[in-house]
Amino acid sequence: MIPQNHFLILSAILFAIGIFGVLTRKNAIGILMSIELILNAANINLITFNKFQKTPDGLGQIFALFVIAIAAVSAVIGLALVISIYRNAKTILVTKINLMKW
Amino acid sequence: MSGLIHLLNSHGLTEDTIIKATFYGIAGLTVLFAFFVVIARNIFHSALSLAVVLIGVACAYLYLDTEFLATVQVLVYVGAIMTLFIFTIMLTADVHKKMSLKINPRVLLSAYAAALILIILIKIINAGPWLPEVKDAVPLDLAQLGRSLMTNYGLPFEVISLLSLAALVGAIVIGKTEKK
Amino acid sequence: MVKFAHLIPIFPFLAFAILILFGRKLKRSSAIISIAASLISLLIVILTFHGLLKGQGSYKLFDWLVFNGITLRVGVIVDPLTCTMLLVVATIGSLIQVYSIGYMSDDPRFSRFFAYMSLFMASMLGLLLADNFVTLYMFWEGVGLCSYLLISFWFEKASAAKAGMKAFITTRIGDAGLLLGIFLLFFSTHDLSFSGLSAITGHPALYTTAALLIFCGAIGKSAQFPLHVWLPDAMEGPTPVSALIHAATMVAAGVYLVARCFALFFTHQPALVCVAYIGAITAIMAASIATVNNDIKRVLAYSTISQLGLMMIGLGVGGYSASTFHLVTHAFFKALLFLCAGSIIHSVHTQEINKMGGIFHKMKITGTAFIIASLAISGVPPFSGFWSKDEIMTEILRSGHPMIFIAATITNLLTAFYMFRLIFLVLFGKPRSELHPHESPKTMAIPLIILSIFAIFMGLPGSPLMNNVFQRFIYFGAEHTALSSNPDHFVMGISVIVAFLGIGIAYALYMLNKEILSKSIRNRFTGLYDLVYNKYYVDELYEFLFIRPCARLSKAFSGFDLKVIDGAVNASASMVVFLSKAKAWIDSNIVDGTVNMIARAVGMLSGELRKMQTGYIQSYLLTAFMGLILILLLKIIGG
Repeated sequence: MIPQNHFLILSAILFAIGIFGVLTRKNAIGILMSIELILNAANINLITFNKFQKTPDGLGQIFALFVIAIAAVSAVIGLALVISIYRNAKTILVTKINLMKW
Repeated sequence: MSGLIHLLNSHGLTEDTIIKATFYGIAGLTVLFAFFVVIARNIFHSALSLAVVLIGVACAYLYLDTEFLATVQVLVYVGAIMTLFIFTIMLTADVHKKMSLKINPRVLLSAYAAALILIILIKIINAGPWLPEVKDAVPLDLAQLGRSLMTNYGLPFEVISLLSLAALVGAIVIGKTEKK
Repeated sequence: MVKFAHLIPIFPFLAFAILILFGRKLKRSSAIISIAASLISLLIVILTFHGLLKGQGSYKLFDWLVFNGITLRVGVIVDPLTCTMLLVVATIGSLIQVYSIGYMSDDPRFSRFFAYMSLFMASMLGLLLADNFVTLYMFWEGVGLCSYLLISFWFEKASAAKAGMKAFITTRIGDAGLLLGIFLLFFSTHDLSFSGLSAITGHPALYTTAALLIFCGAIGKSAQFPLHVWLPDAMEGPTPVSALIHAATMVAAGVYLVARCFALFFTHQPALVCVAYIGAITAIMAASIATVNNDIKRVLAYSTISQLGLMMIGLGVGGYSASTFHLVTHAFFKALLFLCAGSIIHSVHTQEINKMGGIFHKMKITGTAFIIASLAISGVPPFSGFWSKDEIMTEILRSGHPMIFIAATITNLLTAFYMFRLIFLVLFGKPRSELHPHESPKTMAIPLIILSIFAIFMGLPGSPLMNNVFQRFIYFGAEHTALSSNPDHFVMGISVIVAFLGIGIAYALYMLNKEILSKSIRNRFTGLYDLVYNKYYVDELYEFLFIRPCARLSKAFSGFDLKVIDGAVNASASMVVFLSKAKAWIDSNIVDGTVNMIARAVGMLSGELRKMQTGYIQSYLLTAFMGLILILLLKIIGG
């Protein structure tokens, strides 16, 4: 059998890659995709513990389900925002959108 | 299938070995494509890589005895969310325009941060201590899962549905063009 | 048994919330919301009443405050007294709101009016349901607030705004007494529920004081002497308000309070006697003022004060049933009187009875209702007022206070007189000015008709004709056993004679020999007439005793302010000017130099720091992750 730690390490790797993506991608869509990676990493953790630890009523699975639902929601809102930004600023490169700069 | 396993067994490969081999193969592939997601020059390519990663994660779910979640993962992520991403890419960016990942101080710093986090996490994971693993847990069957979703976790479930509705309305409001 | 009595005040309160928030959009339909809420409350009241007959009692809702180990239990009181009052309030409230549709139809703040009315209904119903002093006090202030808001509803009129303030401040004096009484009770008994009142023993002086302080609240709310001055001025408000709040329900809250605490009063007789005498003074004084006032609504206001005084007398002599009975009948016929007055004012646009006259044949419904109500209040059998007054008179006689009996009889005589003075001056005779009376719309006429029916028949449950059902329903202690099976014919006879005597005098003065006879009497008793006409100079007395000294004190303070304090201030100011000049030199030369240097340093530093604010979201994120890593590292190193 594959030990618990290996699943956790897979999750950690995906998480780190996701963070790297969030920090470096210039394309707003790319950032959103990296966020999906992070969420998936979290899900792997949840399900791993669901299998290897005692959890009542499949708590981990249900949490993972909720995370998937929230990921879908965040993707929808994020992409709607991206389209809206694109319509106004004619770009989705976050390096070009610097309204916050003083 | 059993014949195949038998054949492999006769060549000194146990079932366990096969499971391990396939898992590490899939995991490696997933990590590889995940890298590709964040460094691909073409955003469309990175979207396709993301799809592969998501399928890989679904496979990992299979190894964790959660077939239902694997199915949901494929349906929702690969089926719905990826489609959304690809649509948005089509609607916004110039697909063929290549965007290189220039090496600049911030990218280096980010890589350093990500690596550091990975190292710390792995350290924490290996250091443990974890509660003793439950070896022969009976996987939760789907009916049980559905029942607890409707009873014990009914309220969060409803909240999620409300959230989805709000997101639906919000996305429409954000996305619609104003009439002029 | 289903317990739903606590739902009664909730619906009017919801209506209030809706109307205050969305009133502008709802416009005319706000009346429907308000009335619907009242009707739902009425329905629940009827159900509660039914439950009471089936044996449902008071019940606890929740524990509210715990202080020093003493728990305040909030509950709902369901007993005959409360249920009867609830029925009265809900019925009259609903009818008056229907009436208001017509009366307030042209008002720009139509929905605001109904919002306040709903709030009042909620507070009043809550007040009746309260089973302890704290919740009672809350709702007590609630009705006070509504009274203030509704009296000064037409706040553009200076007199209305002033009247609202006067009502609020005057009742506040009484409320302060009530609050002190509650404190006193709490500190001595550690129990604020009404049910605990009957168990009070010992310390007669202490508890008599508490009872008197509680009675202060009742004096303020029920406009008893010496705090009666606000009620006549409260007539500046719209007439439905006068009818609902200042005749039928809120002013009766004082009487209700005394009745509710009757256990306390009954065991401390001095307080009870005080109640009786205050009531007697109020009754006879207000009745005499009503005979000479020329404003239709003010006459009715003084009549209300006088009748409330009569109820206080009733309570004071121990006539618990009689007094609450009169409270109920009075609520109906006085509300009716006010609504009729409103209908007349609405049609002729004046409140001066000297300008009215002969409008009966133009306003048949209003006129008939007015006459019915007048007969009821004058105590003509078999109208409702006769029976309830008769009960009170019997109780007075039984208690053995001859002075009070005489005062009450004179009050009854005056009551009959001033009511028929109104009728003869307003409804009959010749118009004394250019008038164009017309019957009021249906929404106003129908409540009049319904209330007339009540005014006629409401007395029957308490009459010997129906075996004194009312007294067997609402009683204190073992009082109903003392009920004489055969009515007291002596008292009845006196009542009837007095009523007809009053009517006869009014007829003689104002119909037969108009003006002449009344003027000759007026001339003969000039001094007395002036005294009464000026309301016994109570307002002037207050002006002289309290308001002027207060103003003078303020002026003295202001003079002190001007001369002493301002002088000191000026002297110190010139000192400061000198010092400032000296400092200015130091400032411009030494301090400014330092400041400029610091400013320059800060500018340079911030110029560097500004570069951190790139505006790129990812830079910020990176910083945040660095922070996360730092925390994780610390965690690992720290173990």
